[in-house]
Amino acid sequence: MKPILLQGHERSITQVKYNREGDLIFSSSKDNIPNVWYSLNGERLGSYNGHNGAVWSLDVNWDTTKVLTGSADNTCKLWDCETGKNIYSIETRTGVRTCSFSFSGRILAVSTDKTMGLPCELQFYDALDPQQLRQSKPFLSIPVEGSKITTALWGPFEEYMITGHETGEMRQYDTKTGEQVLEIKEHSKQINDLQGSKDLTMIVSASKDSTAKLFDTSTLDHLKTYKTERNVNSASISPIRDHVVLGGGQEAMEVTTTSTRIGKFDARFFSLVFEEEFARVKGHFGPINTVVFHPDGKSYASGAEDGFIRVHYFDPNYFDFDFEI
Amino acid sequence: MAAGKVDSDGRKSNRSESQNEHDPDQYEEEEPDFSDPDGFVDDVDDEELLPDLLRSKPKESDGIDSVVIVDNVPQVGPERLEKLKNVVSKIFSKFGKIKSDFYPVDENNVSKGYCFVEFTSPVHAQEAMKTADGYKLDKQHTFAVNLFSDFEKYSAVPDEIDPPEPRPYKDPGNLLYWLQNKECVDMYSCIFEGGEKTAIYSNTTEPTVVQERARWTETYVRWSPNGTYLATLHAKGIALWGGPEFSQIMRFSHPGVQLIDFSPCERYLVTFSPVQEPRDEGDAIIIWDIRTGLKKRGFMCENQSTWPIFKWNVDGKYFARMGTDQISVYETPSFGLLEKKSIKIQGVRDFTWSPTDNMIAYWTSEHKNSPARVVLIEIPSRKELCVRNLFNVADCKMHWQKAGDYLCVKVDRYFKAKKTEETDQIKYSGIHYNFELFRVREKLIPVDKVETKDQVMAFAWEPNGSRFAFIHSDSPKINVTVYKMKPDGKVDLLKTLEKRVANHLFWSPTGQFLVLAGLRSMNGVLEFIDTTDMTTMNQTEHFMATDVEWDPTGRYVVSAVSWWGHKVDNAYWIWSFQGNLLTKQPLERFCQLLWRPRPPTLLSEKKLKEIKKNVKKYSQQFDSEDSQKRKTASKELLEKRQQLLTEFEDYRQQKLEEYNRTRDIRIEMRDGVDTDDIDSHEENFEEETIEFLLKVEEIIVEE
Repeated sequence: MKPILLQGHERSITQVKYNREGDLIFSSSKDNIPNVWYSLNGERLGSYNGHNGAVWSLDVNWDTTKVLTGSADNTCKLWDCETGKNIYSIETRTGVRTCSFSFSGRILAVSTDKTMGLPCELQFYDALDPQQLRQSKPFLSIPVEGSKITTALWGPFEEYMITGHETGEMRQYDTKTGEQVLEIKEHSKQINDLQGSKDLTMIVSASKDSTAKLFDTSTLDHLKTYKTERNVNSASISPIRDHVVLGGGQEAMEVTTTSTRIGKFDARFFSLVFEEEFARVKGHFGPINTVVFHPDGKSYASGAEDGFIRVHYFDPNYFDFDFEI
Repeated sequence: MAAGKVDSDGRKSNRSESQNEHDPDQYEEEEPDFSDPDGFVDDVDDEELLPDLLRSKPKESDGIDSVVIVDNVPQVGPERLEKLKNVVSKIFSKFGKIKSDFYPVDENNVSKGYCFVEFTSPVHAQEAMKTADGYKLDKQHTFAVNLFSDFEKYSAVPDEIDPPEPRPYKDPGNLLYWLQNKECVDMYSCIFEGGEKTAIYSNTTEPTVVQERARWTETYVRWSPNGTYLATLHAKGIALWGGPEFSQIMRFSHPGVQLIDFSPCERYLVTFSPVQEPRDEGDAIIIWDIRTGLKKRGFMCENQSTWPIFKWNVDGKYFARMGTDQISVYETPSFGLLEKKSIKIQGVRDFTWSPTDNMIAYWTSEHKNSPARVVLIEIPSRKELCVRNLFNVADCKMHWQKAGDYLCVKVDRYFKAKKTEETDQIKYSGIHYNFELFRVREKLIPVDKVETKDQVMAFAWEPNGSRFAFIHSDSPKINVTVYKMKPDGKVDLLKTLEKRVANHLFWSPTGQFLVLAGLRSMNGVLEFIDTTDMTTMNQTEHFMATDVEWDPTGRYVVSAVSWWGHKVDNAYWIWSFQGNLLTKQPLERFCQLLWRPRPPTLLSEKKLKEIKKNVKKYSQQFDSEDSQKRKTASKELLEKRQQLLTEFEDYRQQKLEEYNRTRDIRIEMRDGVDTDDIDSHEENFEEETIEFLLKVEEIIVEE
């Protein structure tokens, strides 16, 4: 089927997310203005105006009432999803790299950049306590040692947070005590993205070392590796099939020729179990920064350095395809 | 010593000065006291105080290096000594300024027949020793010049010699073991990780590592012509490896070695290094005996020319190099000049050995009124076998067919030549090309001619057949033409393939099959051609490929993207000779792949014919073996998948049970709403109407 092109951002896309039902797509970009779209026809529903810097990260809570965005302007903003009104603006000392709602939506996790001599911090706010949000006072703030957090994901029951780091480590932080519970290093370069399976028992990491890897969420045991020959910026697990989609491509600054062939800006589909690639989808003319399956598994959305978001619905033969066993 | 004393006194005076600083009046009125207080002991020694000065203090041995001893100087009386001194210093002042000389005389004031000459620098003395040694002053007197510093060395030579112990024989194992592989699997070397790692692989369905080593070579590797040895290059020299374990067979020390070349017989190794110690200037190029590891002869490298400078004949009996207006042929094992003289050839531009016979082909450029010539001569008789005169020649390129049956000389000819005033270079206009085709095996060596107007980009003979192919461009169109040599002076055009993307062509080592490749700037387009009927078997591409290599048996072709030429997607792909992709092997910063060559077949001509006749019978057997292998391979893959799936399903089962057990917690966390399924609380959904633009139609309403 012909892909739907979401045009509206003026600069590269940093993150794309569906809400739980999958009727809406939320997108953030370096152009400061996050947008919300209908996933069915690609019509823009509205935008969240107020940031003064690139928006690195965004999240929507489970009942699609609130939107959280983290920006390089040293703020993390909470919005009313429906009206687009800014409810709170949490101020941080450095840029906000990641932000997300917990499973219940009651806790907000925010991680900040390590710049200007200030350390990277992992902060937690109680979403039901206006005091904390208004005064930017988290109930827990964990100073992150070593390399900074580049991506973060909530564990299934708000008990811990899994973080991906600039030099390839993955850690598990206890969200009650602030202690680091686990640390592994399976990647040799920066981890760009972490996404959970539908039931959050598995997570897939995407790394600049040109691989994506599958881990057990609770133990961080390494299960599978998906190899490409380019940076992997994002990876997502299908909610209905044993598939994983990888997005990436040669970094814009490394591209020497204008050919998109050399950049390999394709979305690549792998068998979750056999680690074999079975399909590629072309279309972007810059590296894919973020890719995510629709919650019903029948389509996926990808956002790229070229500023476009593409929503692809799968053809029937995608559902017919099975590996020979 | 004295200087040191003064200085240390001065320092002490400073010290006393600072003591007095608090009392300016006293300072002005009284002379500062420079003398040491009573009982002062100087505890600063010179070494500590002025190490720099002491270092430059002259030593007794200084200057010895600048002195040479000259023997065989005429013995003269005092009246003629002055004259002799003049003569000698005139000779030696060529090498540098003479600081002093000394002529020892006997009791009768007659000079003793030797003298000492001191130069201002050891470099000059070195120069004098090298050049003036053996200088003929007159019939009776030939100078023998030695460094004074060497004198002791030579005088202390012991009378008895210890004969060197014979080195015990080290069995390197069977160096040809890899040829005994039943399935005739070939090997290749790979350099990857930007040169950090080198590995030897066997070309099985999935490459099998034979040997992998980190930092095996510092630049690149070379196989010897028959594949017996692998040569690695290092800053200090060359190492040769071989045998089943790739153990070190031999080492050759040649600092800064850059280029190497084997003789076709694998007996000799030629190495070249641009880095030279001033003392062994004659060793820019060294020829080694591979089996003994001994240096056979060193050569100077005066003029920059293309490697290999020394070209070997087929059996390693002769090697030759070109100089100005001459070709020097040397013989082995004496390593002397053949018949003690070079072959004088006015204006020789290039030469090449026949790959199978003791025959040299060379060409000379036009000179005054004499035409350019292509000549075939026999070695060692130097008999001219064939001479071809050519006019209006800009350049020639000689290509031997590998079996030595044919020689093609590609001649670039011009209509007009103009000498540009400023640069003194000749500008040619209206260049056209022709191929002079020498039938070397036929009587009197007849020559055929094929012409083309287009620029020729590449030319290659079928290695053991009578076909040749070349790429020519009538820009922007690039075409490929194949000809076949027929008996009785006929050269048949087989076909011209028009509008191809190619800049290189590669014949299979066994002939018949041809790969056209558009490498580097042409994005790696590949075309596989069967020249028996000139059909294209496959047209494909390996994007950005930089290299193409046939395996030595002509069964496989490798295309590669080398890190040396292109920084991303470094990999090599193996194709069948028909152009079917067999495997893709990406390797981190892969640099170079080289097939291990095979020695020529030991089968007789008759036996080969017999095999060719019964090829059907053999191929049946091979086909069944192949299909068996494929079956096991796909079976293995399916089994592997099966196993992976079972394992994964077990894991998932366990996780799902856990997930289902915790359902209540999740519902509680989300305010009593079950969100495990996407439409599990459909009653809360709100209907929304979304408009789609299906099509735009323009209807003109009738009035």
